Amino acid sequence: MMNTANTRVPVTVLTGFLGSGKTTLLNRILTENHGKKIAVIENEFGEVGIDNDLVIGAEEEIFEMNNGCICCTVRGDLIRILGHLMKRRDKFDYIMIETTGMADPGPVAQTFYVDDDMQEKLHLDGIVTLVDAKHIWEHIDDSDEAKEQVAFADVILLNKIDLVAPEDLERLEARIKSMNSMAKIYRSRDAVVEMDKILNVGGFNLDRALDIDPKFMEPEYPFEWSGIYQLKAGTCEWVMGEGPDPTMGAALLPLANRGLAAQEATLMEAVLTFSEDEQAIAAGEMMRLGKGQYNEFVLNESGETVFNVAIQEPGYYMLFTEHHPDEFDARLRGAQTALDPLETREYKPDHEHDEEVTSVGITLPGDLQLEKLNGWLSQLLRERGQDIFRMKGVLSVRGWDKRFVFQAVHMLFDGRPDRPWGRDLRQNKMIFIGRNLDRAALEDGFRQCLAS
Amino acid sequence: MMQRKGKPKRAQPLLKAIWRANIDDHPIGLAWSPDGKSLAVAGVSGPITLFDGADGAVQRVLPGHALDTMAISWRKDSRLLASVGQDGKVRLWDAETGTQISEMAGGASWVERVAFSPVGDWLVSAAGRKLRLWNSSGDLIREYPDANSTITDIKWRHDGKHFAISAYNGVVLYDPAKSAPLRRFKWQGSTLTLEWSPDGKCIATGDQDSTVHFWIANTGKDLQMWGYETKVLELAWSFNSRYLATGGGTQVVIWDCSGTGPENTRPIMLEGHQHLIKHLEFQRRGMLLASGGNDGMLAIWKVNKRKPALLVDAVFKAPIAGLAWSPDDRNIAVSDESGILSIAAVRR
Repeated sequence: MMNTANTRVPVTVLTGFLGSGKTTLLNRILTENHGKKIAVIENEFGEVGIDNDLVIGAEEEIFEMNNGCICCTVRGDLIRILGHLMKRRDKFDYIMIETTGMADPGPVAQTFYVDDDMQEKLHLDGIVTLVDAKHIWEHIDDSDEAKEQVAFADVILLNKIDLVAPEDLERLEARIKSMNSMAKIYRSRDAVVEMDKILNVGGFNLDRALDIDPKFMEPEYPFEWSGIYQLKAGTCEWVMGEGPDPTMGAALLPLANRGLAAQEATLMEAVLTFSEDEQAIAAGEMMRLGKGQYNEFVLNESGETVFNVAIQEPGYYMLFTEHHPDEFDARLRGAQTALDPLETREYKPDHEHDEEVTSVGITLPGDLQLEKLNGWLSQLLRERGQDIFRMKGVLSVRGWDKRFVFQAVHMLFDGRPDRPWGRDLRQNKMIFIGRNLDRAALEDGFRQCLAS
Repeated sequence: MMQRKGKPKRAQPLLKAIWRANIDDHPIGLAWSPDGKSLAVAGVSGPITLFDGADGAVQRVLPGHALDTMAISWRKDSRLLASVGQDGKVRLWDAETGTQISEMAGGASWVERVAFSPVGDWLVSAAGRKLRLWNSSGDLIREYPDANSTITDIKWRHDGKHFAISAYNGVVLYDPAKSAPLRRFKWQGSTLTLEWSPDGKCIATGDQDSTVHFWIANTGKDLQMWGYETKVLELAWSFNSRYLATGGGTQVVIWDCSGTGPENTRPIMLEGHQHLIKHLEFQRRGMLLASGGNDGMLAIWKVNKRKPALLVDAVFKAPIAGLAWSPDDRNIAVSDESGILSIAAVRR
């Protein structure tokens, strides 16, 4: 009698600012021959049948429940419209909901948790956010909606990449990853993307709760960038323009060869070097080379600042910088010409001082005590529920043979045991995405839940 | 349970099938004509079938609305049926001939509610936030200023002198002869449905935030009942205005409004459904209550304070889609989501 999980119709929510390409993507989905019968709920007026599919115009009616708590804000129009749609004999295979450019995706996602009828017949598959790769910079710093749209997303489509330079795209992708490390990021022009990248992604599927970018769980580095240079004996200059900070940390380390193993070894040396006390280097002074030599370049108040670099042994070197050199228009200059790196690499920074919306991932070996965990999570969601947009985790609970998987949207929590641990290492993984997250406090709170 | 010795054996009540039909569609409205001669059933795909109330013979099939019919309502004289749907129209049908008398614009693409006055010639329709009053020739009498949000329900007071609408932010009360609302009953939440007590003194509402409210119509006083499992879409008053039966979960919760009212009292709880209750209907002049649930169960309860009892139940293949007692209270019409329509009498 009751609809079971696998007969529920998947729903994808499409968000993105005006002009990011939502309509183009929707038209593509509707016209592409994918053999699915799709209902689209969009913001424009009117109801149109397109071949097999149906487009319904809806007016966003967001209402609060339980006296104004944002976490229980839902979309009343969706409950009504989807409720009617699900009665049709001719069932839809898929439902897409387009939100207005300025919408916070929270209420849409919460609608599928709060309302029993919705939960029984539909399941939220994922939130797809389109980002206009060129114009996002106008919003990303000061628009809460833009940040929330990035933060809630399971899939982020960087669209209109043909309008931006490759390095700007790299910078954008790094920025977005620092905000939401859980999302899959794809690049597109004219919103061309394979359907299976955006439909049935299982973002809200507990079975795939931690099917996340493994890079997210990789260690964090105290630097953001490295470049490999081939340098001759002699002197060269490190030239920096004005940038966001008055100083920048850096280390220059010899590299045995360009092989991966050598790079990894040098990387580890760089991590150690960055933990040393920094040595201030003023304009015209000589940069210190090698392991343990952590330089802090002090910039002139305005204009370019030039630092000297003396190379005794010719060969490969790896330069590590605290910030991306592009932020300071920084480069290495030889006698006459610029010295370009042979290859570069970017690192996820461990400091997100200028980012309000971030992701915090925590891995903790051991077993958790369920009561402690419940207590901590409910307190956390009570106090910080408005700022925690999404949460996912796979947990090892003491006394349970099975993994406990869960995910949450704001305060709404969904969790259950899934497959047995078997021979896998029992450990706990959790990801928070939200505003003003305090990593140390989250780690500490999580650790307190370990069974003693 | 062991049966006590010497206790006289009482005959079990039973549901006696009168007729059955299948509309092969998800039934939306289920409405007896006031004279009891016809039963109108709208399918979600559009057509409205008029069955002979006595034997289930198909009298007429009205085309309804091309893009889903959403609600139907009979005029008092049983000659006119109004329907609304997702084609943005309000349609009036001559039940005798099956011809469409009038087609009116509801004001938005989905017209979700329609209600004929129980006494007069008036008809109210709601489409999104648009509220319109018509006469039964299809002339627009009045368009009201837009409601705060989509209108979720319209109900006439039993004497036809007032009607009330529900939306996000509570209930608004109107006199059909006036354009300005008489009163607003404000609640910061989404009100989904309303029912007038038959004596007209109280408006009960069911809300998305799992509350039920009793609004005293002439003072605006609000009694709030909370603790429901889920949103409340199921409300039914007993004819004497004493009991309000409510759903919002797997148990029927009945508030006794006699004496000082339901405040601070323990409601009567009827247990038996395995899943959410979706429909509740009291008899028009009797104390039998029918409940229908997502578990496909139809249950007939005898409601009283001292010893409420389940008289009889029956299980359908699909969740119950609609319930309606015949105007003479003898038969209950039940539909399930598979399109089965069953008319049965409760025999003791």
